[in-house]
Amino acid sequence: MGPIEGLLYGFGVALSLQNLAAALLGALVGTMIGVLPGLGPVAGVAMILPLSYAFDPVTGLIMMAGIYYGAMYGGSTTAILLNMPGESASVMTCIDGYQLTKKGRAGAVLALVAVGSFVGGTISVIGVMLFAPWLAQFGILFGPAEFLAVSAGGLLILSRISGGSFAAGIFPMALGLMLSTIGQEAITAQNRFTFGILELSQGVELVAAVVGLYGIAEILALVESRLAGPPPVPVRLREMMPTGTEWRRSVAPFGRGTLVGFVFGLLPGPSAAMSSFASYRLEKAVSRYRDEIGHGAVEGVTGPETANNAAATSSMVPLLALGIPFGSVTALMLAAMMVHGIQPGPLLMQTNADVFWGVIASLYIGNVALLALNIPMIGLWVSMLRIPRHIFLPIIVVIAVIGSYGVGNSMVDVYVLVLLGVVGYLLRKLDFQLAPMVIGLVLGPLIEKHLREGLFMSDGDAWVFVESPIALAIWAMVALVLAGSALAPLLRRRRG
Amino acid sequence: MTPLLRVLAAAFVALSGTALAQDYPARDLTFIVPYGPGGSTDPISRQFASQMEKELGRSIAIQNKPGAAGTLGTSAIVTSRPDGYTIGLAPNTTLLFAPMTNKDLVFQSTSDYEPIAKLVSLPYVLVVKADAPWKTLQEFIDDAKKQPGKLRASVSGIRATNDLTMQQLNRAAGIRVRTIPFTGGGGEAMVALLGGRVEAYVGTGASTAGHAEAGSVRVLAVFQKGRYDLFPDATPTGDAGYDATLGPIYYAIAPKGVPQAALDKLSAAARKVIDSAEYRKFAADNGYSVENLTPAQIREEFVRDHAMFTDLLKFLEQK
Repeated sequence: MGPIEGLLYGFGVALSLQNLAAALLGALVGTMIGVLPGLGPVAGVAMILPLSYAFDPVTGLIMMAGIYYGAMYGGSTTAILLNMPGESASVMTCIDGYQLTKKGRAGAVLALVAVGSFVGGTISVIGVMLFAPWLAQFGILFGPAEFLAVSAGGLLILSRISGGSFAAGIFPMALGLMLSTIGQEAITAQNRFTFGILELSQGVELVAAVVGLYGIAEILALVESRLAGPPPVPVRLREMMPTGTEWRRSVAPFGRGTLVGFVFGLLPGPSAAMSSFASYRLEKAVSRYRDEIGHGAVEGVTGPETANNAAATSSMVPLLALGIPFGSVTALMLAAMMVHGIQPGPLLMQTNADVFWGVIASLYIGNVALLALNIPMIGLWVSMLRIPRHIFLPIIVVIAVIGSYGVGNSMVDVYVLVLLGVVGYLLRKLDFQLAPMVIGLVLGPLIEKHLREGLFMSDGDAWVFVESPIALAIWAMVALVLAGSALAPLLRRRRG
Repeated sequence: MTPLLRVLAAAFVALSGTALAQDYPARDLTFIVPYGPGGSTDPISRQFASQMEKELGRSIAIQNKPGAAGTLGTSAIVTSRPDGYTIGLAPNTTLLFAPMTNKDLVFQSTSDYEPIAKLVSLPYVLVVKADAPWKTLQEFIDDAKKQPGKLRASVSGIRATNDLTMQQLNRAAGIRVRTIPFTGGGGEAMVALLGGRVEAYVGTGASTAGHAEAGSVRVLAVFQKGRYDLFPDATPTGDAGYDATLGPIYYAIAPKGVPQAALDKLSAAARKVIDSAEYRKFAADNGYSVENLTPAQIREEFVRDHAMFTDLLKFLEQK
């Protein structure tokens, strides 16, 4: 079956009343879940998994896919409005998104993000549809050497991602790396820094850490500002639509974000989060308005948010074309298939064409559904800002606690939430940046894992990391970026 | 909760405790799964729990408690209130091997919990790429003998169950195939084989079947005694004279101290479920073996496997 016939067939499958309802419901529920701090795509899809056993497999998968990209989009809402990312993929969105909200542009940014998510998702689906079998081979090319280059190189490049002085970025990043070593290490499952507390052996839960560092810390800061002075001006509803300039400035980030997200989605690991880090860094490097990024530029929001939705979509490639899930959400989708006796693997496209093309078609439908649902809802989200704080903030705290507990049914995650909330508050008071800390937490375990895997493979020979041409190319790019950012101020000074 | 409600709730709990012997189960049960939703243990648990609900006439809520290679969730079962209302799934390696290397665990011996049923077991398979030079298990072993420490097999972690299985083969065949850990789940060990970064892969039939069907990999051996229906051409290690047949076994267990009447009711219901045609079909479809054992027989199996793991650990520590 060629792509066109396949897609027509897929629309035949996906456009049944039941499946259409599943896509819409999934997108809606996903957005809701994403908006709640502490509840992200993984929690949402995990909640729906037992239900999906009762549906027929295509319907279940369509609903899960809807929840996945709905939550990916929804996670940005609280990041923009309240400086509270729902999960690590929206951390970058906070920086400029919240600044824009303070300038009264919340509605406009949410609209831009909805369109960006649609663009990233849709272009990504086309890529998945046309090239899935070939793209799957791309993921296989990446081994420990290549991943070490991506994760360790990424850490080097991203250390100063959110501006500020060198120390303001490097200290929180080191703190994040240190925290990431708590718990059972990945290779031999030995406990580190757990002090005999068994529950700590699963490590610092990322969701709880992110919601604590940003959400709880933000609430503490808000409470303090309420005591110190009047609250910020509420957003006016008629300023909902982006201006012509904002649209024009978003076009290029949409394109770059799609590309970055699409490539990261093909790789294992927390690809949505990594793609948003990379996209933000890219915008800072190449955008014409790079000097405004960090102080409320639309590029800093639309790039990463387009990227994480593109990554969510292209992460279907390894699942559909290899039967190998590279992330938690796609692992859940794989489980849903296997319960129904569908054999995932390279032959899925032939043996279960209805599943393959049905999911692809539903990704199109889901993206349209997401746009159609969310543009009208922006008014609703923005009006959340008008709820009196003494009512609103306690609700957020309760939801954050429930969300953190729900991830692993563990009270330790709730303690992490509270503790890192205080840490985040103190760091902000001292003018440290928080994003590098999250980056350290995300990349630390990956760097260690890939380094040790590589050394196991080569029996201790470090050359394994530079033997592969792909790894070398990545390291060369890292060196270029580092040299570029070191030289740029010098060049600019000469010009100026 | 108002004080009045709290008193009522406490009274209810107390009453349900005293009424246990006659009317167990008097309320709904919780079934703890020590892995996240989406693992292979999730469908096993749900199948078992949904059939148990019919036998016991009560609902059973599945609670996923993932982390630390199954030890967190297993600890949660062992330390739960021993009233018969919290039970759960536990794997053989977690129950028997993990305490040998982790003295922090709350369960250190098999008397720290009560077995209810043996849910399923499944064998691992030894897989190479389709274009690899080895066509049989024997060719692979012969080649491994010629170049000790050169061949590599991807597994899901050092001292993970599939690593231990490969080490059993190393010991039985007198070879030294290096195991390379690819943690993080998600089939990264299989990707390492497909990408040609290792020579072999040790994993489950379910993770292999799709690639074998597509002709990209070849299954050389199955780590068990007797033919494996999923791969009838694979050489069973047990029949080829190699004592390397370790595979995951999943048990249902309860904490120590559950009243005997409740335990009896649970294991009787479980044995009915496991003997049912519906459960057998579920197991066969997924490549699982089913053996309907009494709690006493499971204890015998624990003793046997405990000795096997002790031996294996000695071998690993000598290396």
